[in-house]
Amino acid sequence: MSTITLHDTHNNDHHDGHDHGHHEQSFITKYIFSQDHKMIAKQFLITGIVMAVIAMGLSILFRLQLAWPDKSFPILETFLGKWAEGGRIKPEFYLALVTIHGTIMVFFVLTAGLSGTFSNLLIPLQLGVRDMASPFMNMLSYWLFFIACVVMMSSFFIESGPASAGWTVYPPLSALPKAIPGSALGMTLWLVSMVLFVASQLMGGINYVSTVLNMRTKGMDLWKMPLTIWAFLLTAILGILSFPVLVAGVVLLIFDRSFGTSFYLSDIVMGTQVLPNEGGSPILWQHLFWFLGHPEVYIVIMPALGISSEVISVNSRKPIFGYHAMVYSLIGITILSFIVWGHHMFVTGMNPLLGGVFMITTLIIAVPSAVKTFNYLATLWRGNIRFTPAMLCAIGMVSFFISGGLTGIFLGNASLDINLHDTYFVVAHFHLVMGSAAIFGMLAGVYHWYPKMFGRMMNAKLGYLHFWVTFICAYLVFFPLHFLGLDGVPRRYYAFTEFEFMQKWVTVNIFVTWAAIVAALAQVAFLFNFFYSIFFGKKAVQNPWESNTLEWTTPVEHIHGNWPGEIPTVYRWPYDYSKPGAEHDFIPQTVPYSQTMSSNMPHDFEGNAESERIQREWVEKQAKEKTTQD
Amino acid sequence: MVHTLKQEEVSQDRMSASLKAKKFVLWLFVVSSTIMFGGFTSYYIVFAASKGKGHGLVLPDVFMYSTAVLVLSSICLFFAARAVRRQNIQTQKIFLWLTMLLGIGFAYLQFDAWSALYQSGATLVNNNAAISVIYIVSGMHLLHILAGLCFILNSLWGAYSKVQPENAVYRIEIASIFWHFIDILWIYLYVFLLLNS
Repeated sequence: MSTITLHDTHNNDHHDGHDHGHHEQSFITKYIFSQDHKMIAKQFLITGIVMAVIAMGLSILFRLQLAWPDKSFPILETFLGKWAEGGRIKPEFYLALVTIHGTIMVFFVLTAGLSGTFSNLLIPLQLGVRDMASPFMNMLSYWLFFIACVVMMSSFFIESGPASAGWTVYPPLSALPKAIPGSALGMTLWLVSMVLFVASQLMGGINYVSTVLNMRTKGMDLWKMPLTIWAFLLTAILGILSFPVLVAGVVLLIFDRSFGTSFYLSDIVMGTQVLPNEGGSPILWQHLFWFLGHPEVYIVIMPALGISSEVISVNSRKPIFGYHAMVYSLIGITILSFIVWGHHMFVTGMNPLLGGVFMITTLIIAVPSAVKTFNYLATLWRGNIRFTPAMLCAIGMVSFFISGGLTGIFLGNASLDINLHDTYFVVAHFHLVMGSAAIFGMLAGVYHWYPKMFGRMMNAKLGYLHFWVTFICAYLVFFPLHFLGLDGVPRRYYAFTEFEFMQKWVTVNIFVTWAAIVAALAQVAFLFNFFYSIFFGKKAVQNPWESNTLEWTTPVEHIHGNWPGEIPTVYRWPYDYSKPGAEHDFIPQTVPYSQTMSSNMPHDFEGNAESERIQREWVEKQAKEKTTQD
Repeated sequence: MVHTLKQEEVSQDRMSASLKAKKFVLWLFVVSSTIMFGGFTSYYIVFAASKGKGHGLVLPDVFMYSTAVLVLSSICLFFAARAVRRQNIQTQKIFLWLTMLLGIGFAYLQFDAWSALYQSGATLVNNNAAISVIYIVSGMHLLHILAGLCFILNSLWGAYSKVQPENAVYRIEIASIFWHFIDILWIYLYVFLLLNS
């Protein structure tokens, strides 16, 4: 006997005004202090894009310095004033540029911009939820992020300039306001900005986890969730468990800077003056920082991995290869990421035995990473591939993940890392594996879910142009840096002409800078495409990519609460593409098995005897009809 | 068999699901806050191990009294929660006020303990970072007490404005989760500091 439950949905619209009535919203509640997850996602995305453009601009500035250290660019003085006197970037400002470039890219673009956008957009839409667990906290999360961005950028407008101690802000350099100009007010602003940022990420992350675990629609058990959601869930868990440690470290650093404690300081002589601080240890900052810092790189890459899984599967018209293996490898990466932070500290005089332990845990991460890579390739293998811009970016992501990941195996070995530490080899490694790979994952997400976000399509031709130029230039920029690193060229050095052994690399730097400039120009194609299409793009249909997941069952026009009537129920996993015997090459999650008798497989029923019996009888009946026809 | 779910039931369902999710949000906050204090105490452990010394102090007695006050406030909150479930608003108000006062008393005693520490020469600005940690962890904990008092106030506010019973239960539940958490957290920190002198 079955029970059919009808929801009395006609009265919904006026009655449940408490959470999701369709009342008119003012401009301020709709576009600014919005509590709607879709609007917050767009706010995160656009803020992320603006920050990415700024950070990219900063990188072009220091690339100019690296390529032509002796040349004067008068235009720089026009824009930067005293920081580029005579048209040459000052050493202090060069350090500020690399620091803020790193900080913005890692935290503001690839953490908040990536997770903030796609977790907010997709968690409710793909799980069949009307909004986040706490929409108010979600709004707060965005606005704290926004203030953090403003505080970070404001450091460009102060006398002493932005923080300059590198994005890892190691003390004592960062702890002594008089050490370099960048350690004065700029560093304080950096720390304030980071505290706000962490608060924002915690609010966001806590919301994501609570929503995923508590609010899924009927039928959506954990193993029916798309891999995107798995990735966002584990990313958010990672954030909740690691960001508070950064707060602890930052609080101690603030006390060292502003109140004279000695948590990280000892035996320091500045000029002729001996500082009173005694007994602290800067290594302890590195422990606290990298306990966050290493999970952070997985916070950056895992959403990109999840997005790629979805995009590759949809556009290969094939089920993702090894769904369970994909989930378990994400879980494996999540757990392992907490016990590898020491590989950033092999040169701090670490006990070699402890170094060995960190080396082994680090190398084990290669296993789940390789599982994921092979699964992507196996999904592509003999697929009916549609090369949409999103698909190209997702494949690009896999490519960067492989080429950058391989050098991770080099660097994970203590004996190699001790030689390669702080050289351009490290720079090349992480710009490929977490920089480019994560950016391409993010771009794949933007191209793929743009119709969902704005109800219009992006121009595919501009997308192809953008992808190919960016993809090729990213390799041209970062690949040569490996060789600089193998030659022992240290990162963060201001002028290659000052050191004899580095002079031969100036020509390579010129090449890299030109490639970076071309890559930056290619982003104009993206930016134009993005902003133009918001207003003038081709109108999107409801399910433009013929995808299975729930977000494509919502109307193109956004409504608060996502679904006009009842939330759809989920009957199957999200990867039923090209199922043998099916009418179409995709079966959305909302289609029950009773409507797809011709394509059901024995394992679809998970051992439910009743369903198996019905299916068996149907098959027998079909066979009988066939024989009578003959 | 066909039956129709009435509108009230549906929104009731959704309401309690949303409250459940919000409560879960608080639990996750408790986890992340625990991790932050884990960060401080692991700083302490690594510092003490590498320098071969802890804070080396006899902690002022005031900390003992403040601990007792905090435990007492937790007990009061427990009775307040019981009163809410029995819909006994008068008792609830009394115990919530008691919790509140004891919480404020705890904060006062912590300041007292700091001044006792300060007068004994164990200042915040210190060449033994382990002593500075005492100030940091108790200070950060005090910030949590401040947040906890807001939760208690929210519950009291609910009692005076006569909110729906489910809402009152929800308010006292989140207040309880948080307040008992900071109670246990303080006991952990105190014992940690006692054991690792």
